Amino acid sequence: MKRFNKYAIYEVMAPLVGFAASMALLMLIVVIVGENPGNAVDAIWKMTFATSTRTATVLSTSVPLFLAGLAVAFAFRANIFNIGVEGQYFIGGLVGAMAGIYVPLPAFLHIPFVVIAAMIGGALWAAIPAALKVSRGIHEVITTIMFNNIALALVNYLVNGPMSGLGATGSLEPQTRHILPTALFGNIDWMFRAVGWNVPDSVYLDYSLPVAVLVGLLVWFILFRLRIGFDVRAVGTSTDVSLYAGIKVAKVQLGAFLFSGALAGLVGLQEIFAVRGYYTFQIASGLGFDGIAIALIGRNSPVGVAFAALLFAFLRQAGYGLQFFTKVPNSVISVITGLMILIIVVSNELVSRYIKALRKKEAM
Amino acid sequence: MHWGTLFDYICKGLDTSAPLAFAALGGVFSEKSGVVNIALEGGMLFSAFSIVWGSIIFHSLWLGLLFAVVIGMAFAAIHAVVTITYKVNQIISGVALNILAEGIARFLSQNIFGQETQSAMNPYSFPSYRGMNVFSLVVIPVAILSWFVLNKTVFGLRLRSVGENPEAADTLGINVTLMRYSGVLISGAMCGLSAAVLYPSRWVSGMTGGRGFIALAAMIFGRWSPIGAVLASLLFGYADAARISFASSIQIPSQFVQMFPYVLAVVVLAGVVGRSRAPAADGIPYEKGED
Amino acid sequence: MPTNAAAAAPSAVGGGASGSILLRMEGITKAFPGVVANDKISLDLREGEILALVGENGAGKSTLMKILYGLYRPDSGEILIRDRKTRIAGPRDAITQGIGMVHQHFMLIPPFTVLENIMLGSESSRLGVLSYAKPKAAAARLIELNNLHIDLNTSVERLPVGLQQQVEILKILYRGAEILIFDEPTAVLTPQESDELFKTFRQMRAQGKGIIFISHKLDEVLDIADRITVIRRGRVIRTLDRAEATKPLIAELMVGKPVILNVDNPRRSAGETVLEVDKLGFVNAEGVETLRDVSFRVRAGEIYGIAGVEGNGQSELIRAIAYRTRISGGSVRLLGSDLSGLDVRSRRELGLAHIPEDRHKFGLLLSFSLADNFILGSHYKKPFVSGLKTQVRKQIAENAKRLIAQFDVRTPSEQTPAHALSGGNQQKVIIAREMSQKPRLLLANQPTRGVDVGATEFIYKQLVEAKKNGAAVLLVSADLDEVMSLSDRIGVMFKGSIIKEFERESATKEEVGFYMMGEKAR
Repeated sequence: MKRFNKYAIYEVMAPLVGFAASMALLMLIVVIVGENPGNAVDAIWKMTFATSTRTATVLSTSVPLFLAGLAVAFAFRANIFNIGVEGQYFIGGLVGAMAGIYVPLPAFLHIPFVVIAAMIGGALWAAIPAALKVSRGIHEVITTIMFNNIALALVNYLVNGPMSGLGATGSLEPQTRHILPTALFGNIDWMFRAVGWNVPDSVYLDYSLPVAVLVGLLVWFILFRLRIGFDVRAVGTSTDVSLYAGIKVAKVQLGAFLFSGALAGLVGLQEIFAVRGYYTFQIASGLGFDGIAIALIGRNSPVGVAFAALLFAFLRQAGYGLQFFTKVPNSVISVITGLMILIIVVSNELVSRYIKALRKKEAM
Repeated sequence: MHWGTLFDYICKGLDTSAPLAFAALGGVFSEKSGVVNIALEGGMLFSAFSIVWGSIIFHSLWLGLLFAVVIGMAFAAIHAVVTITYKVNQIISGVALNILAEGIARFLSQNIFGQETQSAMNPYSFPSYRGMNVFSLVVIPVAILSWFVLNKTVFGLRLRSVGENPEAADTLGINVTLMRYSGVLISGAMCGLSAAVLYPSRWVSGMTGGRGFIALAAMIFGRWSPIGAVLASLLFGYADAARISFASSIQIPSQFVQMFPYVLAVVVLAGVVGRSRAPAADGIPYEKGED
Repeated sequence: MPTNAAAAAPSAVGGGASGSILLRMEGITKAFPGVVANDKISLDLREGEILALVGENGAGKSTLMKILYGLYRPDSGEILIRDRKTRIAGPRDAITQGIGMVHQHFMLIPPFTVLENIMLGSESSRLGVLSYAKPKAAAARLIELNNLHIDLNTSVERLPVGLQQQVEILKILYRGAEILIFDEPTAVLTPQESDELFKTFRQMRAQGKGIIFISHKLDEVLDIADRITVIRRGRVIRTLDRAEATKPLIAELMVGKPVILNVDNPRRSAGETVLEVDKLGFVNAEGVETLRDVSFRVRAGEIYGIAGVEGNGQSELIRAIAYRTRISGGSVRLLGSDLSGLDVRSRRELGLAHIPEDRHKFGLLLSFSLADNFILGSHYKKPFVSGLKTQVRKQIAENAKRLIAQFDVRTPSEQTPAHALSGGNQQKVIIAREMSQKPRLLLANQPTRGVDVGATEFIYKQLVEAKKNGAAVLLVSADLDEVMSLSDRIGVMFKGSIIKEFERESATKEEVGFYMMGEKAR
């Protein structure tokens, strides 16, 4: 089926321009700091794609970023600003951990069970801001941000208190008990070997990767193949037209918001189930806000979000490379990232207007 | 409870409320002109960095404060350009700026102070009275001045008109763009002032802890009026101060008390009936009617 | 009656006004894509004179005044103020040159007081601090001089519409306007408020001001105007003096000869009652009763056309039928079922289809493909949805291809996004979609607005086709020719009620026109 979109080129241009501009800026900073650009490029390469182990690290790093971006993107599709991904994955992760600690199940069931539990946790945490938006029109930006902070305090209390597993683990860091081995996300090298691709042992990829891929496919399928996805996209485009067409706007918004929360619940799974093996409120934070940037850059489509997540992971590893091999400090990457987002967002806007004007002329 | 403790609490509460109040006043100016600014959080953070940095460079706390105000305005200027001139969605711009603020502050901290997550100590500080940063008292005259400017001056009248009905203001010869830039820049300056009372002794990564967003909740609760925003900030501030001052004497786990300001903000927002009196054209980019 | 509209000299006979010429517009032409709004229009205005601009909807009156006020720039022509050629670059320019305009939609700041609204942009101040003494005095003087009754200290949002309009008038007088433009000023006023307004007009005229006002209402025009300029389809038909003007004359100049549209529209015997509206009432958010005891019925196999000047409740009526609305009284029944409480989907399932008046805002998802737009409203049903709730893309595409061919929609492909199509083709998409539902009741709200001639004829054919297929069609249109050619029965809507119904055979354009303007039975 032919897709008629000769303007597609322009649409991809904005992120590309943003990326190119940021790379240029990065090199500029490198020079300013007194480092040789050649060294910088070399350092970046060494840390990102030089070996399969490194490439696997980039891929692995991109998984939580992808899930966060996906959660935000899905909500954006319905024109909902879910800034609460942060809190949703802290809560979702805790619920998932509980499912992994206290509910013994055979291995092949345990992982899916844990995944679903995390999704439920995330959705639950999005429920109140969602209800407030749909029933009373209260803008979700502030409510979700507030709930982020509430979540952090709540899990802090729970992990230090009733759900503490310190005695059992003998560690000093506040954490829950250990997750049962059947729920842990192990190495998936066997999957690659099963299809004949002999990956070296140093490559470490865990089950969160296939989970992410499946979830990505699921989101794509929902948005572009299911009728409910059509409703979501319609509501996100125009509530007036959706109402006219008989779509139940409030229900769709509520559902999209909750599903976004569910997706957000998965963001912490890699760290909890593959890296640590227990839950703590000290899991990586900030992924929620990264997710927003990734969704924006990826233009809210699963494929775009995947690329954007890989881009972010690449930048993160690049930062470590610079830090390790050159004089350039890691924090440069945060600056570059922030600027890149702004450039892309402005470019997106300008490009959209340009395309609109072009199309208008065409129709005359 | 004896008077000493009560008086300490009053001072501490003012101290805790002041950063919120300044930011909330900034939010009022911006939204009254029709621009939503959720980057107050980033603005506060970056200004907090700037006051330490500026004090050290210029060997003076006051110059450091001036520097923080200027930086706050420059930061806000980015938001203004992106949303007013390029008409990008105001929420998205705010989110991007918050990310950027943290990034730049960390980068600078790394390069200047050698540590990414915190700066050096600021050798200068404001006088302190019973644990309260004396500069907090400045909130009161600033609030009154804000009220005066918004309601009694030509500038204030025009600023407000642009946030209510930019089309009407435009037909009367008022420069909508200029007014909106002013509103946003003032919000940036207010972030600079908030840095003076947040913790001017040292910048720590993430030190604002969501205060910029609570300030927005205070602004909404205060119905977009300067005095209301400050009173609401006092409410939040004193609630938070109660946590610190009295936590030990209550049996509630500290984390719940820590949650309290955020829960309060949600309750307040939910209770403030959805149809609140935001300026009518708040959040909508102004496009001159085309021919 | 001469219908030549070329650059003929405006009113030759001297009118009642004795002042010098304030304003002259000569040969003004303004074209928009698809339509020439003003075609070499010339008129003049004297000091101490009230000139009325009359014409049907879309005749070009508003455009002309917007050019005068600087909101548009003319493609060609000259504007002379006191015999001096001038260019009006924008509203601020117009104000400086002494032109003031009171728009149909007020340009006021609701939470501000009257005084603040008047002062805004021209404030008097000391060191930046607002000072109210001088403006208050000046405003008070103007209020007295012009028969206005406003309290300077109330906030505008508390004032009734009539007084809000007075604030607008005060604004322009405060800035020294000598030429005052009023666009349909009485559209939103009660009879009493209109009387007050005209008293104000007379006061201003006595001070030597020149007033141009646009109106549909012949009574008012004959009451207050010194001269009357009639515009039709972008051209000046004639300018009359008050002395020679009569209602029949003006009406005829306005509407011209009835246009016979090429529509094969046989009258058929109508079937059962499909739509029954009984004493329907609606009060809007501002507390105004926009629908008042509306009662009528539409039967299967007939087209019921609602004639009326825009703003008399037509939009509210369509909305009350198509959407779940909080009505203040009465009922709407579709095939016997009371619609109250039913949401849009339920209404559509009962057989309702709706062509909305603003296709961009309501009718199409512009960024979606045509294929998607063709199934809006029925996208949740078979065959477009499978048992597993996935969308059946093949069926959706087939459906689109079929409708594109059937309705002759000009597009490169069914996957083209809707915003790429021309207005006429977009409208065809909507009509194709709504009609393919085989509706029992078809609501057609301004179906040919912004649509070129070719597509318009096609749309008329479709509406007649729908009627032939047994649907009940409710047509709302500001184009009286359209209503009269298509409708089997006509209901005239005025101030929120149907005040008169006609059978097609017994309706004449003049009579319908009179009722549209609020004339009671003759």
